[in-house]
Formats: sequence, C-alpha cells, structure tokens
Amino acid sequence: MTQENISGASPSLSRLVQELNRLPGIGPKSAQRLAYYIIRLPDDDAYALADAVTSVKLNIIFCEECQNLTDASPCQVCSDPRRDRTTICVVEDPLDVLAMERTRSYRGLYHVLHGVISPINGVGPDQLKLKELFNRLSRVDISEMVVATNPTLEGEATAMYIRRHQGRDDIKITHLARGLPVGGSLEYTDETTLTRAFQGRQEI
Amino acid sequence: MAPPKTYRCEAVILGYAPLNEADLLVTVFTRDQGKVRAVGKGARRSTSKLVGHLEPLTTVKMSMVHGRSIDIISQAEVINSFSTLKEDLTGIAKGLYLAEMLTGFGAEASPNPDLFQLMIDTLRIIEADPGSEMALRYFEYHLLGVSGLMPELYHCVECRDELEPGAHRFSPNLGGTLCLECGPEDAHLRPLSLRALKVLRLLDRSQLADACKLTIDDNLSYELKSLLSTTVTYWLGNEIRSNSFLEHLRNETLPEVYI
Repeated sequence: MTQENISGASPSLSRLVQELNRLPGIGPKSAQRLAYYIIRLPDDDAYALADAVTSVKLNIIFCEECQNLTDASPCQVCSDPRRDRTTICVVEDPLDVLAMERTRSYRGLYHVLHGVISPINGVGPDQLKLKELFNRLSRVDISEMVVATNPTLEGEATAMYIRRHQGRDDIKITHLARGLPVGGSLEYTDETTLTRAFQGRQEI
Repeated sequence: MAPPKTYRCEAVILGYAPLNEADLLVTVFTRDQGKVRAVGKGARRSTSKLVGHLEPLTTVKMSMVHGRSIDIISQAEVINSFSTLKEDLTGIAKGLYLAEMLTGFGAEASPNPDLFQLMIDTLRIIEADPGSEMALRYFEYHLLGVSGLMPELYHCVECRDELEPGAHRFSPNLGGTLCLECGPEDAHLRPLSLRALKVLRLLDRSQLADACKLTIDDNLSYELKSLLSTTVTYWLGNEIRSNSFLEHLRNETLPEVYI
C-alpha cells in the first residue's frame, strides 16, 4: 500500500514515499520510515542528500577504458601512471573494484562488466560490457587478464564465455583462487569448494 | 495436531535472487513437495554454512522450517553438484534452460516425483554429453506429459481417426496432431512432417538414454526444436528467456585461435 491511499497525506510526501519504494529492498513501510526521517532532517542535510542524487546522475559516466563509473574519463585508476598496465582484472560490478582496491595487493587495471551472463533473467553477452572488453584486448599490450567474476554458476559461465571469445593466445588468463574462506569450516564446506581448496593447497 | 515445524526434503536448486543484506530467496524443486521458495538466511556471506550448497543445478538434502509466510532453509548438503556439467558453457546453458522450464511448470505444494526424476536424469545425460539436443527434446516432451499436457500423436485431435502415414499438422492449442482433412480455425496450427511425428512417438515410448542415442539431421532437429519449444512456450504463457542464450551459443562462431 502506498501513501497516496492514505487519506490526509500530502501529495509531496506521497511522491517521496513512492519514489523511495522503487529502490531495491525498500518496501512500503521502510519507504514511509525513510520519508519521515528525511522530513525531520535539518534542511542542509536534506538538501545535501538531494544534491548528491542530482549530482551523481549529472556527472557520473562510464570510463572509456575500463567502463567503471567515474566523474571524468579516463578514470582515476586508468589515468594513474603508477598502475601496472600489463594486467587487467575483469570484475562484475563497480563495487568489486572497491573490494579489490581495499586489499592493496593488486596494482593493475580493471574492466567492469556491469553484470554477468544470466540466461534465466534474460541477460546475455550483449547486455554486458563484453564488446568493450574484447575491443580493448585487441588494441592494448597486456600479459595477463585476471577474470575475477564471482564463483557462482553465472559468474563461472561468464568467465568461460570470456575465455572462449577473447581472441588472443599470447596472454595468460587466470581466475582468482577457489577455496576456503577465512573463518570458514571444513565440516560445512561443499564438495566442489573443498576439492578446489585441496587442489590449490600450499606449502607451509 | 499442528503440522511439524520442520521437514526434510531432497531438492534440485533452480535459482536464487538476493534478498535483504545477505539473504537469498531460493527456488527449489523437491521430490515430495513440488516447487518451494525458501529463504537462506545469511547465505550470501562467504562464511555461511549454506554457501556453495545452494548453487543452481545442484541436488541437495535440505532441512526446512515452516515460516509464517515463507519457509527458511536451516541446513543444506550437496548430493550431486553436477560439477562436470558446470565446466562446460553449453552444459550450463542447457541446464539453466531446463531449470527455467521446471520453474514455470512446477507448482507449489503439488508433489510431482516423476518431474523431479526427469530433471535429475536429464541433467545426468547433459553432463555426460553437453552437445545432446535430443535430451532437451525428451525433457520438453515428457515435461508436457507429467504436467498432464501430453500431446496426442496417434489420433487426429479433431475427428479422432487414427493417423495414416504421411504429413500432418500440429496444434499446441488443440492438444496434438491433426490429419490434413481437418482444418479448424487455429492460429497455432503448424505443419508436422512424418519424420518428426516418428521421432515424437519414439520420445513417447523410449527411455531417456535410448532416445538420446538417436541421431537426426539438422532440418529434422530444427523442426522438433521449434515444435516442442513452441508448445512449451504456449502452455507456459511466456517466452523461455534462457533459450536466447542457448541459441546464441548454437549460432556463434569462435575466434580462429580456438578452431
């Protein structure tokens, strides 16, 4: 039920509730709570929120190189001369770039696909930034591509598709190690993960 | 007496969608309860005991708790992860095509052990031979059958006369094959060659493994694919979305380096 069904609600409040209700994971009750929270915010905070939403829609573009979301193209990572330009790490989502950067262990470049091949949801190769990846691979000089899609069925299918279509036989194609997470438990680990963890065992 | 709060089941995972911060809304097809939607609490966290056990195209033993509006997955243990199938892109695409059809035809709180077994058997065949198209045709045909929509292949659905050898017509809407003399008004009516009718009858009478030994030419394969997927789509009421990726793989040309 939306606010417009409640008699006495102001039209502008109803509109805010409706707009918030369209966000993923926000139901009608959460939308109402958020709307009333925004009403109670100091004016400056509420305007800052509105300005942030407007600014992100006006200024954010795709980086012409890595397809990550950025204010200026090429993005900070692609234009940084200290980055290792011989390695490209392919990720599903802009949030994955942030996760990789938090590790401080990878200094190469990225390519963001903006999704994975998901046949059941009608997402095929044409809906992803795969054409841009294959064009990029045909013109840049790299030695390794790390396919860092999630180890899910759809992530693996996307990695296989990239492997099949990347069109170069002179670069090393790798994916991230599969195995046990820190804090995990052998007892609850599925057979595929445990097999891969065993295959990738390391000397201590 | 109140029904038990928990139950165990054997299920094949059909798909999932993210829910809340770290949960998964999982769709499974169980042997004894039919299609079930359930929540895997915290299943998206890498340290969750459910992680890896809820991947699509996996058979699992599950413990579930009846929730007020939706069941909760309390435990899941892999029976068969079909790991070889998942190493092949065509195998994955075909498996997801089956999963989408089963999601569409499977009904909640409506046990259908034959349909469950058909899914498991077909996944096994595709795992052994990802190139097998006949396995998909067998699944489509028997999916209709175990759903109570088995097409009529031996008598004209209009005049009820036994079909003579020759070309016929087929209508998903009318429930099967028609002789050439009967010409009802039906937008779904399509030609059916004698060879295609013979293969459909073979699918009807054979076991899955035997049917998959049959090799047919491309024209006949296309006719059967078109006829059965049209029939499945007709009864589903919407397109099978994973079919377009499967077609993409069938039609693709690989870079020279892999040829």
